[in-house]
Amino acid sequence: MSFLPISAFLGRALRWSLAAIIFSSAQSYAGEGTFGWVTSLDLQPKGELELEERLQLNQNQAVGTYQLWQSRTELSYGLTNDIQISGYLNASKVSAKGNYTTCATFEKQEGEPPTNCPYTAGYLVNNGGSSNAPYSNTQYDGISLEAIWRITNPVTHPVGVGIYIEPTFGPVKDEIEARLILQSNFLDDKLIVAANFVAATEKQKWITNEPFLESMWDILAGVTYRFAPKWSGGLELRQHNDYASASWNSAKQTQTAWFLGPNIHYADKDWWATLAYRRQLNATNCYSWVNEGAIEGGEMECSSRYAWDSHTTNEFLLKFGIPF
Amino acid sequence: MLKRLFILAALVTALLSGVAYARTFASIQDAQKLMFPNTKLTKVPVTFTDAQLEVIRDRSGVREPERGDQIWRTPQGGWFMIQQVVGKHEMITYAIGINPDGSVKHIEILEYIESYGYEVAEQSWLKQFYGKNVTNNLKLGKDVDSISGATLSCKHLADGVKRDLVAYDTVLKPLK
Repeated sequence: MSFLPISAFLGRALRWSLAAIIFSSAQSYAGEGTFGWVTSLDLQPKGELELEERLQLNQNQAVGTYQLWQSRTELSYGLTNDIQISGYLNASKVSAKGNYTTCATFEKQEGEPPTNCPYTAGYLVNNGGSSNAPYSNTQYDGISLEAIWRITNPVTHPVGVGIYIEPTFGPVKDEIEARLILQSNFLDDKLIVAANFVAATEKQKWITNEPFLESMWDILAGVTYRFAPKWSGGLELRQHNDYASASWNSAKQTQTAWFLGPNIHYADKDWWATLAYRRQLNATNCYSWVNEGAIEGGEMECSSRYAWDSHTTNEFLLKFGIPF
Repeated sequence: MLKRLFILAALVTALLSGVAYARTFASIQDAQKLMFPNTKLTKVPVTFTDAQLEVIRDRSGVREPERGDQIWRTPQGGWFMIQQVVGKHEMITYAIGINPDGSVKHIEILEYIESYGYEVAEQSWLKQFYGKNVTNNLKLGKDVDSISGATLSCKHLADGVKRDLVAYDTVLKPLK
């Protein structure tokens, strides 16, 4: 078995792990967000505009520090009663230090330890590889466009069905994401059950001079109940799959991760807000394979059955909207 | 930078303009005078039994229970009720008048506090219920027209009227 030089190996590992991470941050929001991460079929009425801001914090990896703040500022407009279009402005701030402990995996696969262990790595940590120095960066990530077509309305049909598409362009990545949205309402529409089947493919560009292709397949599911006027709360589950290819090649799947957590939502006539939390479950699987004698894949991004890169054990989301 | 400034300006404009606003429409007294002018209404509080509420729920499909604490009767056998249904964010409160023959006489929205869909309070939409009785279907999109941006409110009001008519048919009518 031949081995890659450390710098090349770290570069690949960073890319694969980052690919998974990047897709973990691929989320969409439209209309009043009763859920945190699940997209519902609550769209803007025809001719109506809404401003939405969302802030997500991913924090806590195996050791050290890793904090990723992501901001998305969105304007949504009801093109018709069943078609909503949106535009986003995306930005982020990442801070990390000594957060990767996969040194043993590294040594096992490459035959020599990383220069520094633990070392500083993860999504948007563009430090070139094995350094354990602190890293911090704030940046403009890009813009996203979004369209949702509500084929059937869950208020008037047993199952609401919608199609979602979101292209993203910017210095961090170019991406196209599509969702199939299913939603059913019960108990006078107080109980909402929804699921999203999410597929995304992207070109990651944030590692200097090393763009790479990735794809993601996610299933999001959630339930919320309006337990009092203006207030609802519920639970959301995410199954996340990353691939080190642009076309969901199962032979190049890098990880499968699970997330679960609660949400709470408040809505007034003039504004609404949602606070959600989800924790990565201790059930992650990461995969590697041999390519031309070298081990490749996602195991460098995992330890103790957790996936790192952009993933953390804790994810917090705050979003609020103002209908115009 | 220009995009951020635009968004900030839009946000400030929205906040300064008050964005959406709540509306309280007619008072109970105004609605009574409108529906039954020059008529003495007698308050007849009704305590619905669990069995009656179950029948009403089964026949109307509405889980929000019929309220019995604000019901009035006219000497001619008409009825005036204050009822509520679930709105998008808060309860929608309305008054409904029922003719002595059990058909809908009139409806007035008393309180509607939502971001969109205030057209549900307009008579041009509400009048489609007038003359309907318990034998009529009141399904949104088939028997009742919807309003853009207020699908949920329209559906619940239509279902609520059906619930009120069922309550009249099963509980109030036998009180005569």
